[in-house]
Amino acid sequence: MGTDKSSELLPGTLDLLVLKTLARGRMHGYGIAQHLKTISEDVLQVGESSLYPALQRLLLNGYVEAEWGVSENNRRARYYTLTALGRKQLSAERREFDRMVLAIQKALA
Amino acid sequence: MKLFRRVKYWLRARQNQADLAEEIEFHRSMGAAMGNTTRAREDARAVWIWPWLESVMQDIRYALRNLRAHPGFTAVAILALGCAIGLNTSLFTVFNAIANRPWPVADAGRVVNILQFSDRHKTHGFSLEESRYLDTHSKTISGIFAMRSGQNVGIEGGKAVSSWVSGRYFDVLGIGMQQGRGFRADEDVLDAPEPVVVVSYAFWQDRLGSDPHAVGKQLRIEDVPLTIVGVTASDFSGTDAMSVDLYIPMSAATLLQPHAEWMKDFLHSPDYCCTNVAGRLAPGVSRTQAEAELAVLHQQFRAQTHDVSYGVLLTGTAFLNSGKSDKIIPVFALMALGVMLVLLLACANVGNLLLARAAARQHEISVRLSVGANRARIVRQLLTESLVLACAAGALGVGTAWWLPSLVFRYAISDNLSFHLVPDSVVLVYALALSAATCIIFGLAPSLHATRPGGIRSRFSLRSVLLTAQVALSVVLLVGAGLMTRGVERARTQDPGFKISGVSIAQFDLPANSYDKSRARAFFALLSRDLAQQPVGLTRLAPLGNGQNWTSFRLPGETEKQARTVLVHEVNRGYFDVLGIPLLEGRTLEDADANRSVVLINQTLANRFFDGNALGKSVVAGKPYAPHEIVGIVKDAYTTGLDEISPTIYFPISGDSIALALFRATPATADAIAGVAKQIDARAGTTFTPLSANLDKYLQASRAGAAIAEGLGGFALLLATIGMFGVFAYCVEQRTKEIGIRMALGARPKQVIGLVLGSSSRAVLAGLLLGFLGAAAGSQLLRKLLFGLSPFDPVSYAMVALLLAAAGLGATFLPARRATKIDPMTALRCE
Repeated sequence: MGTDKSSELLPGTLDLLVLKTLARGRMHGYGIAQHLKTISEDVLQVGESSLYPALQRLLLNGYVEAEWGVSENNRRARYYTLTALGRKQLSAERREFDRMVLAIQKALA
Repeated sequence: MKLFRRVKYWLRARQNQADLAEEIEFHRSMGAAMGNTTRAREDARAVWIWPWLESVMQDIRYALRNLRAHPGFTAVAILALGCAIGLNTSLFTVFNAIANRPWPVADAGRVVNILQFSDRHKTHGFSLEESRYLDTHSKTISGIFAMRSGQNVGIEGGKAVSSWVSGRYFDVLGIGMQQGRGFRADEDVLDAPEPVVVVSYAFWQDRLGSDPHAVGKQLRIEDVPLTIVGVTASDFSGTDAMSVDLYIPMSAATLLQPHAEWMKDFLHSPDYCCTNVAGRLAPGVSRTQAEAELAVLHQQFRAQTHDVSYGVLLTGTAFLNSGKSDKIIPVFALMALGVMLVLLLACANVGNLLLARAAARQHEISVRLSVGANRARIVRQLLTESLVLACAAGALGVGTAWWLPSLVFRYAISDNLSFHLVPDSVVLVYALALSAATCIIFGLAPSLHATRPGGIRSRFSLRSVLLTAQVALSVVLLVGAGLMTRGVERARTQDPGFKISGVSIAQFDLPANSYDKSRARAFFALLSRDLAQQPVGLTRLAPLGNGQNWTSFRLPGETEKQARTVLVHEVNRGYFDVLGIPLLEGRTLEDADANRSVVLINQTLANRFFDGNALGKSVVAGKPYAPHEIVGIVKDAYTTGLDEISPTIYFPISGDSIALALFRATPATADAIAGVAKQIDARAGTTFTPLSANLDKYLQASRAGAAIAEGLGGFALLLATIGMFGVFAYCVEQRTKEIGIRMALGARPKQVIGLVLGSSSRAVLAGLLLGFLGAAAGSQLLRKLLFGLSPFDPVSYAMVALLLAAAGLGATFLPARRATKIDPMTALRCE
């Protein structure tokens, strides 16, 4: 099932958000979800069933890499890093997203 | 790159999934859980699956669930298809083994059989002398050798099969040795035979007890001590269809049979026909180049002795290439046709079962179609179900091919074959392709039919067509089986032109080196002295004994090029008396004829070449190749084969070597004959065989053929019966309500049955008719196997009609009973 399950978001936006988050640096899955939640003032609440398929999708496409590390509370956690390819994909998706939002705004105006 | 990552993921699937589970667990332990963990895990894993694979897997899972829910249907379908695929794969396994596999030697593609041919369909080997000439002079063939296989020899405590080979045999073929060595060239010198022998791996294991020091030991063969110089490697199964125990240099054959008259000819005569010859192409030489060179050498050689020369043909070493294809290919073609028909029948059968299931699933399918499912998607899913069935059947088929061919071969032909009759990769590919094709044949039509917009409605239904096909195919197979069975029966009971019952054959088993001229003379003298009161027939070849001698023959005044071959027998007067072959004209043979140039001929020869007026005329034949006067004509007798009579010349038997004796079996005569043998050589044994045993042996292959045909026919009948039953039962079930109404309105059970089964019965009758037409056309192919029985033999056809009628009645019985037991009230309430 290659489709996006985060129904509350626009299709494809979750990948973009994850990529953007990881652009700040290495982070584990829970960290990504927390970051999105904080930064959006609780609007973007991403559940495991959307986040982890998205991360696997990014792994499959080679946009991120994963490695095990130790979390801030001293537990084993899997950290994700953006790859060069992922960086490129981020800016491409960003451009596409902007174009789309502009188009929607025009349509709603 | 993406593909690479996917593959890498699946290679470490277990680890990756554990990682994911741990990661999600970490996530949940950190704070508020959202959503379903299992779902998260499954979705995350699904990312790595190829999208199409996912839906195929889904289809397969669905198909498996469905098949499991209907075990009866599934079992019948898999068994029917599996048996049919198994039969086809088995046949192909045999074909593959004898047609595609060259000799088990190094670089086998460069090894060729060397044949001469008068026309492409009549190939034979060369004289030993010529093979040596070719070997000496050829530059395109790096080594040429001759082989004479299947020579039975006596060894201590039994018999063994020996093959006489040129000294270069092992060397040219590059045959590996388990211990010791092959022959050296100097061990096969005509005037200085060496007493050496190479034994096969199997012989070494079974008869020599895997002796690690076998090389250098002596083996007594025909009472002659030969030294074992080598044991062949275990992977060398020989270069002949029959497995060989011992290899002996050609020249050493004289040691085993020092007095055999023919041996001198065999080893030396440039005209002796024929020994199998093969060789290895020199590096860089093509077959065509070598053929051209050998043709020239052959001409040169023949020019020294003879005016006639032939073409030279090089073939591969697979069994079918060695000049034996003419007899075997038609048999294969017939069997292939038979098993193909069975496969088609099984397809029609399972196709019909699928149709019935599709009808039962009509509701499900139409719901899916109406909620917007793509028709192609549903067809694909139904086909997946067929594919799963076909794969299971294919697996069953390959399993069958593992044991069936060798079992049939052992039963029907011989347990002494060197072929390795198990499936190899070629066979597996064949079985796979066959299963896929089968799946399309039986699955496509029903699934298209079932998903037709508007549902299944037509009157002239696919079901009737398939039923007709099943009946027709089974009729064809049954008629074939019937004809073959009756053909063999006819051969067994018809008059062969000579007496079989009450006649015995005495075969003398003397040590090979005591077959010399003086002993032979004494043998004949003793026979005529001790058995003067009873007729004793003497011959070189037992009637129906699987041996034939042919000789070149021409009329005086004809040139050598006009010569033709005819059957030849060497016999005495008693031969005709014991076998009861009547003399038609002239006189029979006398003892004094042994020194005269006279012959008897059979009716066919007299009619074909002399228009019936043969008495007193001459034929040029025999040894010396000179005119012989025809002094008598005897009635035709099927002594060499029950299928046809060939022109035959009977020469008076020469007293130079010991012959077989035929006699009217009484214990006294048998004792007298055995006594004669003992007087010649105290070690002599005499084996008595009733002539009827020869008849049985002669008919063994035909019996096996008929048994195979019966097996196929029986299987076909079973499938057709199941098919008919299925359709009848389905008709009743489908129209339960209608039957209920009719019965409520006062219809009698008989009328109801007629109504319901009427249309299907028409399909059965149509199948019967079509089958008879097909059988009448197809049975022409069997003509040669029927021993003169007409392919239109009415009894066979009538038996098949009766069988099918019985099967039809059997198949109707239960459904019909059910139809009459339908209670109108229940039937109507049902809906």
